[in-house]
Amino acid sequence: MPVLGDPKVSLEEVAFLVLAVVALLTAVAALLVRELVHTILWIAVFFVDISAIYFLLEAPFLGVLQLGVYAGAVTVLLLFGVMLTRKRIFSREAATGLDAVPLALALVTFIFVVTSVGQLPQSNQTVTSYDPSLLSENLFGPFGPWLLLLGLLMMGAVAGSIYLVREGRE
Amino acid sequence: MTALPLVGFLALSTALFAVGLFGILTRRNFILILIAIEIAMNAAILNFVYFGAFSNGTGGLTGQTVAVVLIGFAATEVAVGLAILLALNRLKGTINVAQATELKL
Repeated sequence: MPVLGDPKVSLEEVAFLVLAVVALLTAVAALLVRELVHTILWIAVFFVDISAIYFLLEAPFLGVLQLGVYAGAVTVLLLFGVMLTRKRIFSREAATGLDAVPLALALVTFIFVVTSVGQLPQSNQTVTSYDPSLLSENLFGPFGPWLLLLGLLMMGAVAGSIYLVREGRE
Repeated sequence: MTALPLVGFLALSTALFAVGLFGILTRRNFILILIAIEIAMNAAILNFVYFGAFSNGTGGLTGQTVAVVLIGFAATEVAVGLAILLALNRLKGTINVAQATELKL
């Protein structure tokens, strides 16, 4: 669908650009603000933005899963983490600056990977959309062992978490 | 039919991973480290969805399926991280990882 009368720019491309910029800005903001509760607000915006990218890629089931698991559950878990470890919820962090070495390492990683990405075709590719029922068939068919493994892992994680935080240990 | 640049998407997730890596290396607060891990993990999951969406045939569905499983893994990881956070807070009275020196010789 052309935008602004220019047939070369489609609405989807504009949407992707906006979503990408918002994702990067919120991720950086989440790590740089001093107030921990504001960090969690920014990360919630980040998760919703990633969910919108899934919808843009015509993966609606993943978009809904991202909203439910990340924007819902993980955000609330992180808020509980803040609530249970602080006497006052709104208290500022000690400033942790931008250390040169980790920043350089992150930049080098980015440039290294992006230059190898540059060898892929630059033109636009068509997005294939799949029926969520096909996804379910795949998940419970060939990927059944993975799903069982995920269930076992979650059970182990629950048992381990309860062991870690139980009362009255030495 | 939607047509989008695959290279732009890959650049986005690489940038997000770099942000997460930076956060993991520099932050001292356990919750911030967990959030940075989540950002990096989301970047990795996005990659699976891209290659699933941009490839044709039933093989492309594998990307989305793996992404579903990985979202479950990431949620599990946050739950265990929160338990470690509470144990650390009970043991040390702080969630600063610089003071978590129990395993040092």
